[in-house]
Amino acid sequence: MDYIITTEQLTKKYKNFTSVNNVSLHIRKGSIYGFLGPNGAGKSTTMKMLLGLTAPTKGSFTIDGRHFPEDRLAILKETGSFIESPSFYANLTGRENLELIRRILGLPKDSVDDALELAGLTEFGNRLARKYSLGMKQRLGLAGALLGRPPILILDEPTNGLDPSGIHEIRNLIKSLPGLYNCTIMISSHMLSEVERMADDIGILNHGRLLFEGSLDDLRRSAKQAGMSADNLEDVFLTMVDQDNAARKQRAQL
Amino acid sequence: MSMLAIELRKEKRTGVIPVLLSVGLLGAGYAFLNFAVRKDTLLGLPLAPMDVLLTQLYGMIMILNMFGIVVAACMIYNMEFKGYAVKKMYMLPVRVPGMYLCKFLILSTLLFVAVALQNLALMRIGSTDLPQGVFEMGTLIKFAGYSFLTSMPVLSFMVLISSRFENMWVPLGVGVAGFLSGMALADSSNNLLMIHPFVIMLKPAVAMSAQPDIAVVIAACMETSVFLGAGLWMAKKLRYE
Repeated sequence: MDYIITTEQLTKKYKNFTSVNNVSLHIRKGSIYGFLGPNGAGKSTTMKMLLGLTAPTKGSFTIDGRHFPEDRLAILKETGSFIESPSFYANLTGRENLELIRRILGLPKDSVDDALELAGLTEFGNRLARKYSLGMKQRLGLAGALLGRPPILILDEPTNGLDPSGIHEIRNLIKSLPGLYNCTIMISSHMLSEVERMADDIGILNHGRLLFEGSLDDLRRSAKQAGMSADNLEDVFLTMVDQDNAARKQRAQL
Repeated sequence: MSMLAIELRKEKRTGVIPVLLSVGLLGAGYAFLNFAVRKDTLLGLPLAPMDVLLTQLYGMIMILNMFGIVVAACMIYNMEFKGYAVKKMYMLPVRVPGMYLCKFLILSTLLFVAVALQNLALMRIGSTDLPQGVFEMGTLIKFAGYSFLTSMPVLSFMVLISSRFENMWVPLGVGVAGFLSGMALADSSNNLLMIHPFVIMLKPAVAMSAQPDIAVVIAACMETSVFLGAGLWMAKKLRYE
């Protein structure tokens, strides 16, 4: 299998708290990988480690055959990212923000217009970023990630703060990207219903542990084997998480 | 070079550049005004005219420069933290120490321009208001260099502090505390106190001679390098969490 992102026993500990616990992910090239888990499951921390924002306590990972920290610049050059909340210079306009990123990445000038258009921000490009609504800031963050159409996209809950039509629009955009220019997308969410509509493969994380990894069909199959209804994957996801939480409680009591 | 151009673009609408240019102009204006109003009193002091010109006006100019540095250093990093922009920088193929160095260079250049403006005013005063044949260009240039060098530890220290705290009030508070403690300690003859960057900046202002003190110059160069080195190391090693 041609994996573009792999993690090996990736672990992150903060004093007595383990945020990510021996997570081994396998993300296929050209696929959309849905990274699922309830709030606080460790999704953002895992993504932060992939981007070098935080150092793993244990384990390693490769992105397109490259390793952190030696290949940091090469990895970041081909990875568009959006983590937790949009990041922008409040004193600059949306267009100026993207222009900075364009210069850093050494992209052609028209890539800014392309990113603004992809994110649906063309008419607001000249407005100061601090005057953007939450949804517009979210779109600006996405435009920054999409700038130059990078081959790898790491998106952490990119539809947060968007209205239903915005969610729909962004979801369709993300879904269309691999077909548009053959990119690989890792997208996190706490809602299976959302990921279900766009992901090829999923990874389910709870309390830092990877409970499941595979395709949606694999998830359906494993649900059937476990005696759950495979019609509603949201219920499968919730049951999986509840069972893991119950097992954790039991382990803690012993 | 491209990193420097990118950093300069980021400064748009932040006020960093106007702050230090205003400090230069205000210092120059203060020198003109003070000398115009107190010329006879100042020249009546038991000091050489060049010492009067350079040391008696420098106190206020130095305070302006100090607050200019503190405010500009706070602003130059506040814009990075305000919209979590710095997080984006960490996720881009950017050498973070390079970004730190560019900010340091921008502030140093602006301070240099401010000091140059202030010294141009002193040059004008010296050539028109001091007794004939007393003005020494060499002494003025030497003192200008001395005042710039002794300001660099504060600049280097403030860039380091503001790069580590997301809340702008922390570096601002450190700057004010540095100024107050520096004022209290500047007169002391204990050389160990020169470890305090604000004391070094105050040294030329409390001296009665315009001749640079070599010990102060050495301490200033060392502290500037140490704070700059520490800032670059932290930018390289400490990640954005």
